[in-house]
Amino acid sequence: MTDPTRVAVTGLGLVTSIGQGRQKVWEALLLGCCGFSPVRSFDTRGYSVHIGAEISDFCADQHVLELQPSTIGRTSQLAIAAARMAVQDGCLDLLRVDRDRIGVCVGTTSGEPGSIERFDDQCVRGIMNAVGGEFLNGYPCHVIPLHVARELDLGGEAMTIPTACAAGNYAIAHACDLLRNGRADYMLAGGADSFSRITYTGFARLGAIAPEFCQPFDRNRKGMIPGEGAAILLLESTARAVARGASIYCEVAGYGFSCDAHHMTAAHPQGEGAARSMRLAMEDSGLQPSDVDYISAHGTGTLTNDRLETIAVKKAFGSHAYSVPISSVKSMLGHTMGAASAIEAAVCALAITHGWIPPTMHWRDRDGECDLDYVANSARKHAVKVAMNNAYAFGGNNSSLIMTARATSGC
Amino acid sequence: MKKRVAITGVGLISGLGTSSAFFHRQLCGDMDDPGEIPKDVLQEHQAAPTGVLRFFKPESYLKGKHLRPLDRTGQLLASAAQIALRNSGWTAERLARHDVGLVLGTMFGSMHTISEFDRRSLIDGPACASPLNFANTVINSAAAQTAIWHNLRGMNSTTATGATSGLVAIGYAADLIECGRQATVLVGGADEFCFEAFCAFERAALLSGENDEAGCFVPFDQRRTGMKLAEAAAVLVMEEWDSAAQRGAYVLGEVRGHANGYNPKWKQSGYGACGIIRAMRGAMRESRSSPSDIDYITASANGSVVGDRNEGLAIKTVFDGCCDRVQISAIKSNIGETLGAAGVLQAIDLLEAMKSGTISGIAGLGQVDPELSSLNLCRDSAFVDVQTGMINSVGFDGHACSVIISRSATQSNHT
Amino acid sequence: MDVNVIRTKVKQSINRVTGIEAEAISDTAAYDADLGLDSLSILEIAVDVENQFKFQASDEELSSIRTVEDAVTLVTKRLAAEVG
Repeated sequence: MTDPTRVAVTGLGLVTSIGQGRQKVWEALLLGCCGFSPVRSFDTRGYSVHIGAEISDFCADQHVLELQPSTIGRTSQLAIAAARMAVQDGCLDLLRVDRDRIGVCVGTTSGEPGSIERFDDQCVRGIMNAVGGEFLNGYPCHVIPLHVARELDLGGEAMTIPTACAAGNYAIAHACDLLRNGRADYMLAGGADSFSRITYTGFARLGAIAPEFCQPFDRNRKGMIPGEGAAILLLESTARAVARGASIYCEVAGYGFSCDAHHMTAAHPQGEGAARSMRLAMEDSGLQPSDVDYISAHGTGTLTNDRLETIAVKKAFGSHAYSVPISSVKSMLGHTMGAASAIEAAVCALAITHGWIPPTMHWRDRDGECDLDYVANSARKHAVKVAMNNAYAFGGNNSSLIMTARATSGC
Repeated sequence: MKKRVAITGVGLISGLGTSSAFFHRQLCGDMDDPGEIPKDVLQEHQAAPTGVLRFFKPESYLKGKHLRPLDRTGQLLASAAQIALRNSGWTAERLARHDVGLVLGTMFGSMHTISEFDRRSLIDGPACASPLNFANTVINSAAAQTAIWHNLRGMNSTTATGATSGLVAIGYAADLIECGRQATVLVGGADEFCFEAFCAFERAALLSGENDEAGCFVPFDQRRTGMKLAEAAAVLVMEEWDSAAQRGAYVLGEVRGHANGYNPKWKQSGYGACGIIRAMRGAMRESRSSPSDIDYITASANGSVVGDRNEGLAIKTVFDGCCDRVQISAIKSNIGETLGAAGVLQAIDLLEAMKSGTISGIAGLGQVDPELSSLNLCRDSAFVDVQTGMINSVGFDGHACSVIISRSATQSNHT
Repeated sequence: MDVNVIRTKVKQSINRVTGIEAEAISDTAAYDADLGLDSLSILEIAVDVENQFKFQASDEELSSIRTVEDAVTLVTKRLAAEVG
C-alpha cells in the first residue's frame, strides 16, 4: 500500500428500493428481494420499456431535519438520509468531535436530474420566467455534499466526484486518501442518484433496458434496470476507531483505477482496463488473487458488460477466477448509477462482517461465455476476509476497491 | 515520503488566446503584441456581451477523427489538452508507453448536452433521442472523451465543487502524485458558455448586467455589480519531480501546497470569509510558508458583490501585517468568470508571472471598495519577482480553495 | 419517393454522424466492415434516418440495419406502407 495508515469502515447508511437502513437492506438482499416495478415518476408511454427500480417509500421529512426538504433535490435528500444513518450507525457523536475535520465526498452520475428536467419542461413549455434562483442553488451536482454538510453542520472537505457508474468507488477511495494524508479525521463517503427520466430515456434508446427484471450473467439476459439510491460509509483511521471504541465492519485495504481510453459506451473488447484496475487494487492492498474471497460485480445485466467483465476477471485472477464467488446485487436493486458502487461497497463490508454473500437473482441458464460462480439465486454462507468491489463507467473508467476484515494483529 | 509535484506543460483555450505567453501579455495590457489572434477579433470578443469563444475551431487541434462524438465542453478540454501535451513533450509514442491520468474540474460538465438531449426527447419523443448525445450526458464526459482522444489510460477522475472545481482538481491531482499513485496527470478545468448556465446565474442575480454599460464586473471595485460569464478550458501537465527530471522536462513550477475550505454557516453574517481563510491558511501550512513568503496572490474576485468582499476580508485577515507587501491581482475583468477553467487559468497566469517577472493589473479598476482599500491591489502591470504565489478560488456557495506554487529552483528569473 | 433520393438522404445521415463524405460511401457499404463504425454511431445514424423520414423503427428493425442498403430497404418499405 502506498500509505500504511489503515482506514476502517465504522458506519453504514443505505437507502434503496428494497429498504432503508443497513439492517433492512442486508436482510432483504439475503432473501433475494427485488425492487423492480412500473416506472411512476414519469409517463413511459412512447417508450418500449416501462420497468424501473424506484424507491417508493422515501419520506424526506424524516431525514432532512435542518434544511427545508422542498428546497433541495431528491438526490441530496437521499444522500442526507444515508449520511445521517451512517453517523448513527457508527455511533459518532457530532457534538463531541471537531466537525471541521469531518468531510463529505459523494459520487454521482446525474447529480440532481429532477432540477434540470424541470428546467427543460419549463423551456419546452415556453415558461422560462418560472425559472428562479433555485435552479443555480439546486442543480449543479456539487451541491449534494454541501447540503449534507449544511444539514449535519460539517466544515470539512465537501466534494462531488461525478464519475458516473463508478463514482461511489472513486468517492470512497478519495475519502481514504484524505484520511491518510491528514486532511480529515472522519469522512462520510459514498454515492447517490435519484431516478432520472434522462438516464432512462438514454438507456432505453440504446436498447439496454430489460423488459421485466435484471438477470446478470444469465444466457438470456436482456439488460439493466435503471434505479435510484444512496449509500454513505463512515470512514476513519482504524487507530481512531479503536481508540473511541467504535465497531469496525472492515477496512479499506486499497484501490485501483484505470481508463480504457477506448470508447464512451463500449468497454475495451479484451477487458484490459478492467483487469488492470483489479491488478492495481490487489497490488495496492498487498494481496494475491487467491486471497480474494468474494467479488461484488458491476454485473449490470447487459450482454456486453457481463461478458467483458467475466473476461476481465479471468485475466486478473487466472485459474483462481473459477474459485471466487461473484455476485451482482443489481439483480435486485437495479442499476443505481452513482450510488451503485457505494451500495456494493457497503454490501462487501456486510459480507465480511456477517460471513454471507448475497445472491445474483434471476439466474436460470448458463451462458457459455459467463461460466464463473455467480452465487445463483440464493445467498451463501461463506467466510469473507477479502472482498473486491468492481465498477465500470461510461468512458471506460474502471475501478476496483478492496475491503478486508480487520487484521487481528496490530491495533 | 511525499513526492514532489512539477508542472511541465500548459495548454489553454480562452478569450485571450491559446498561448500562455500571449495570454499573459494580453493580461498585462501589451497592446502591441501581434499574437495569434487578430486584434479586431479579440476586441470584438471582449466587447460582445456573450461569452462564447467565436474563434474557437476544434479541428485546428483535434485532427484525424470526426468530432461529432464530442460536445463543446469535450472539444474545449481535448483541445487544451492537445496544446499542453505538445508543449510538455508528451508525444503519442510516449503516451502509448505510460498510463497518464486526467483529472477534470468542472462546475456544470455536460449540462448543455444533458438539457438538449432531454428537450429533444420531450419535443420529438423518446425514440428521437440521440445515442451519441446520451453518451455525453454523464457529467464527466469531457474527461472521458479527452482520455479517448489522447490515449490517457491512467486514473480518470472529475472534481465538481462548483466554481472552485478547477483549482480543486490541481490539489486532487497533486495528492495522487505525492502519494505515488500516478506519475503524470493532466489537470484540466473546463466549462462551456451555454444558455442553461447563463440562465442559472442570471436568475440568481449574480451577473453584472445585460451588457457592459449596465454593469461592472471589475474585481474589488466599489462599482461592481456582479460577474461576467465566459467559457474556457485550461490544462496543466503535472508530473512527479524525479520522473520529469529524468526525461529532461522543463519545469515551469512546483505545486507546494493546497487546501479547501467550506463553512456550512457561510451565508450568515460574519462567516462569509471563514472558508476562504481556512483554505489559504491550510495551503500555507502544507507548503510550510508564511504570509511573508507569498509574493503574489491571483485572486478569484470576479466582480461579485459578496464574493469579492469575502475574499478581500479573508486576505486582510490572513495577511494581516503583510498586506502592503503581497501583490494582489485578478484576471477576471479581462477574461470573465470561466467557472471550472478559472483556477487553472489563474495558475497559468501565476506561472507566466514567475517566468516573465511581470504581474498583470486588474483591468478597469477604479475606486477600490473602501472596506478593502488596505489591500495591495495592482492597477497596472508591474515588474515583480515572484518566487512563490498563491491562487485562490472562491465559489458562489461558500466553498473555497487555495493552491501555492513556487518557481522551480532550476529556473532562472525573467526568461 | 425515388430510391435514389432515399439513398442520398441515408448517406447524408451517415455524413452528419461520421463526417465521411457522402460521395465516398458506396451504395453497398457495410457499416462496420467498410465504414469502420461502432454500434453507437450505427444507432445514431438509424435515429437520424428515422427523423429524416419521420418514422419509428422497431428495436428489431434497428438492429438489423448493418449496411447502407439495409437502411434504404427499410425506409422504402416504411414509406410504401404509409402510402398504401
